[in-house]
Amino acid sequence: MIQLRNLERYYKSGFQKSWVLKGINLDVKQGEFITIMGDSGAGKSTLLQIIGMLDAANKGEYNFFDEEVHRFNEKKRTELYKHYIGFVFQAYHLIDDLTVYENIETPLIYRGIKSKERKPMVAELLDRFNIVAKKDLFPDQLSGGQQQLVGLARAIIGKPKLLLADEPTGNLHTKQGEEIMQLFKELHNEGMTIIQVTHSEKNAQYGDRIVHLEDGYVREDKNVNELLERN
Amino acid sequence: MFNNNLKVGWRNLKRQPFLTFLNTFGLAIGMAGGLLISLFIYDEFSFDQMFPDADRIHRINVDIKFGGQDGEYAVVASPLAEIVLDYSQVEMTTRFRTQGSMLIKKPDAALNVKELQTTFVDSSFFEMFGLELLEGDTKTALRNPNSLILTKTAAEKHFKINEAVGQNMTLNNSEAYIVTGVIDDLPENSFLRNHSVFMAMSGYEDSRSTEWGSNNYNTFIKLTPTADIESFQEPLQAIFSKYLVPYAQRFMPGLTEEAFKASGNYVNYSTMPLTDIHLHSSRIADISPNSNIQNVYILSFIAFFLILLASVNFMNLSTAHSLKRAKEVGIRKTLGSNKFSLIKQFLTEAGLISFLSLLLALVVAFLAMPFFNELSGKELSIPFFNPIFWLLLVSVAAVLGLFSGSYPAFFMSKFAPVKTLKGGGQSSVGGGGIRNMLVVFQFAISVFLIVSTLVVFQQLNYIQSKDLGFTKEQILIVDDVYGAGNQVQTFKQKVQQLALVKSASLSSFLPTPSSRSDDGYKIQGVNEQDNNLQMQSWRVDHDYVSTLNFEIIEGRDFDQKYGTDTSSIILNESAIAVMEKSAKEALGMKVVRNFQNEEEEVLTVIGVVKNFHYESLKDDIGALSLSLGDGAAKMSVKLNGGNLSNTISSIEKAWNEVAPGQPFNYYFMDDSFNETYQAEERLGRIFIIFTFLSILIACLGLFGLAAFNAEKRTKEIGIRKVLGASVTQITYGLSVDFLKLVGIAIFIALPLGWYAMNSWLEDFSYRIEIPWWTYVLAAFLAVMISIITVSFQSIKAAIVNPIDSLKTE
Ligand SMILES: Nc1ncnc2c1ncn2[C@@H]1O[C@H](COP(=O)(O)OP(=O)(O)O)[C@@H](O)[C@H]1O
Ligand SMILES: [Mg+2]
Repeated sequence: MIQLRNLERYYKSGFQKSWVLKGINLDVKQGEFITIMGDSGAGKSTLLQIIGMLDAANKGEYNFFDEEVHRFNEKKRTELYKHYIGFVFQAYHLIDDLTVYENIETPLIYRGIKSKERKPMVAELLDRFNIVAKKDLFPDQLSGGQQQLVGLARAIIGKPKLLLADEPTGNLHTKQGEEIMQLFKELHNEGMTIIQVTHSEKNAQYGDRIVHLEDGYVREDKNVNELLERN
Repeated sequence: MFNNNLKVGWRNLKRQPFLTFLNTFGLAIGMAGGLLISLFIYDEFSFDQMFPDADRIHRINVDIKFGGQDGEYAVVASPLAEIVLDYSQVEMTTRFRTQGSMLIKKPDAALNVKELQTTFVDSSFFEMFGLELLEGDTKTALRNPNSLILTKTAAEKHFKINEAVGQNMTLNNSEAYIVTGVIDDLPENSFLRNHSVFMAMSGYEDSRSTEWGSNNYNTFIKLTPTADIESFQEPLQAIFSKYLVPYAQRFMPGLTEEAFKASGNYVNYSTMPLTDIHLHSSRIADISPNSNIQNVYILSFIAFFLILLASVNFMNLSTAHSLKRAKEVGIRKTLGSNKFSLIKQFLTEAGLISFLSLLLALVVAFLAMPFFNELSGKELSIPFFNPIFWLLLVSVAAVLGLFSGSYPAFFMSKFAPVKTLKGGGQSSVGGGGIRNMLVVFQFAISVFLIVSTLVVFQQLNYIQSKDLGFTKEQILIVDDVYGAGNQVQTFKQKVQQLALVKSASLSSFLPTPSSRSDDGYKIQGVNEQDNNLQMQSWRVDHDYVSTLNFEIIEGRDFDQKYGTDTSSIILNESAIAVMEKSAKEALGMKVVRNFQNEEEEVLTVIGVVKNFHYESLKDDIGALSLSLGDGAAKMSVKLNGGNLSNTISSIEKAWNEVAPGQPFNYYFMDDSFNETYQAEERLGRIFIIFTFLSILIACLGLFGLAAFNAEKRTKEIGIRKVLGASVTQITYGLSVDFLKLVGIAIFIALPLGWYAMNSWLEDFSYRIEIPWWTYVLAAFLAVMISIITVSFQSIKAAIVNPIDSLKTE
């Protein structure tokens, strides 16, 4: 599904280049649940943003479903966001002026789905995430965990093939975090491809593969089971 | 403390250059516009205030309805002044009998000088208006017949002013006068502006007449210091029964006051304070053309709203951008700052902006002054050396700063620290409802002004293209042909022979501004007063009708074939309507001119001319008659087209042959026509400029708000983009809220515009129906302008890469 070859990302400051990512090679198959780990500043977010096409590499190849991503224009990207990719952010990024219900509904509107059909889809997710009672509240009336549930519901309502999550539990208590991770696991079992960034070893265990970044290189890329065996 | 506020304030302004620019620029434009208009209005209200006893001086007016004709006159009959002088309230009276332009020279001089405004005046002139003579003695200066005084400028054309007294002068090549004094030039803002020659009334025979039949004298009274004008009204009204009724009975035996009034006729005398004349008088025979108080109101309205718009902008932008300051307010509060000191801080900033704007406004006003003067037809200047002006200006700036700053200051000082310091997502600052209202308000005014501008221009266009009943194009008017004396017929023949000339006609009377003269008429043998009328009585020649292209709808034009045409008359449609005759019935009818007095004359109606406009299109067409006569002051020349300057120089050559040394003055009839509507045209141009300014200010505000809105929503835009929203969808989402506001504004403004402009049009007897597309166009313009303003910001925001706005702090 995703192939990264010799990917480089650097920032120019004055006459110097400072590399964030150098020679990244990564293959993601459909249905995988990958965790990216690494120290702060290792380039995890940058990598995730490139995969999510929010950012572009300076060098190297990126193929998404065998298509060269650097050829994509704005329209094509919008198309992918509508049908293929869902995002979950550490800071939730809900729309302040919209209610819980409306936040979750928004991607469906962009996909041109009729109001009548949107209703059951939103209702189903509200139900599944146990937030039916909160549906008419605004984001600032929710706790962090609840906000992230909404964020996740919004990310997956369009049934994306790929879910990208940058420290989705970074701002949450352990218990709230576990709830989110449990949902990730379920989605994974339903066949969704997931790439998450996390600092938590425990959360990493929910996935089936861990990619360790260090100074812009992939230092280690192992199956969770292999790692478990090694320990 | 204040110093510190100032320092912090200045820093804040520098930190937000875009906002500071929008605020300052908007306010400066508003202030500059307001300043220019205020100077204009101040000038309008200063008229005739310079005369020492201005508050005691009044003019006597009369409203007359008689014989189906009515009129409001600034002139009364000659004997009236002497009668009111006997009243206890009246200290003195002065009459003017204006003569228009005259040619004047020293008897031995070769060349005449033309003075545009001349008048006979009573010798009380100096005392009445507190005028001093630079040369001569006020006690004797205008006493004797054939004495005159000149203004300084008029005198200096002939001699040094200290040599002026005692000089002989010849007026219009015939009358001998002696100069008895020189006065200073009369101020531009007085009713006597442009008047330069004042001749002694004692030399004007008619001024001693006891006739009440014609109203020709602008009559001023000065009250005694203790008298009030109210107590003067009753004796003034009594003149009618006491003098006019007995006078009328002389030629309408058996006429009673009751019968006269019962048939709907009236003669009402009234007074008008000297200082009101300029803005309130639009009467027949005003000494100088006046302004209209309505225009002053309209301008005040515009100035007021321009400044209001600018300060509304200021409020809107400041509160909108206060989100950025919210954190500062929170921190300051936790540090122990109270609400009051925060308010002071914000007001200091508003004051700073206000003064910056004032400086900019002065520069703008100074630079715009020449254009504004051309627009307004005045000679205004910024009174830089007047301390009161500065005092006023600074106070206005301070008040404006306080006013515009107060809402944002109270608004921001209310922010609760808990809310503003809470981490995570920013919440909106509120106040959106009021901001929206203010945007609606601004656009409503803009749309209203657009409608007004469109209507004014359509009406002007209508006037200019209306069928006036005569042809004004290709007509050259040679002025002051009396300069040719008895050679004037020779001149006419010479001109008629020129190849490029179709025809030429001698007459003082033209449908465009020129002499007017009315006489009393009645149908011979009919004594019913209803069919008597006072009507325009124009002396013309045989070529008049054909030169100006009037249409004879019944009967015939004057014709050389008939020797009897000297006692023939042509009436217009309005005249026969008053006489209650059809065009056919009118033909051959005998009418008596000047039936009230010894100059009685019987004339036969030979034709009826189609009504043509000879007064402003604001008025209905009044009754009018044409008859043959001499003594023309103007010659109308109908041109064939072709080389204009060649034609003019051939006409001038002909003139110089018959009247060597006399000035050759000419103008084009359509120019003169257009001047009649100068006031409306000025209004139109002023509307355009200030409409533009108010739209500009409104757009500045909208632009600032859109920028703020886009900025506030960058995070949201980013989210929406990763959720799959397209640039178009986002641009639309950002713009549509503003467009809704503009829509509401249009909805409010169109009915107001409809109402206001229909009232304005009511002034015109001949006016347009406002076409529906005017409103559509105004709405369309407003929507287009706002779309362009808003979408610029929206598109800018929509194409931003979401990665920039979704970074985790
Ligand atoms: N716009 C930028 N300009 C320069 N350097 C940047 C920019 N954005 C990120 N970086 C740098 O890239 C590096 C990697 O950042 P990021 O991918 O956010 O790390 P992580 O998510 O692994 O903590 C950091 O050292 C950061 O300073
Ligand atoms: Mg990161």
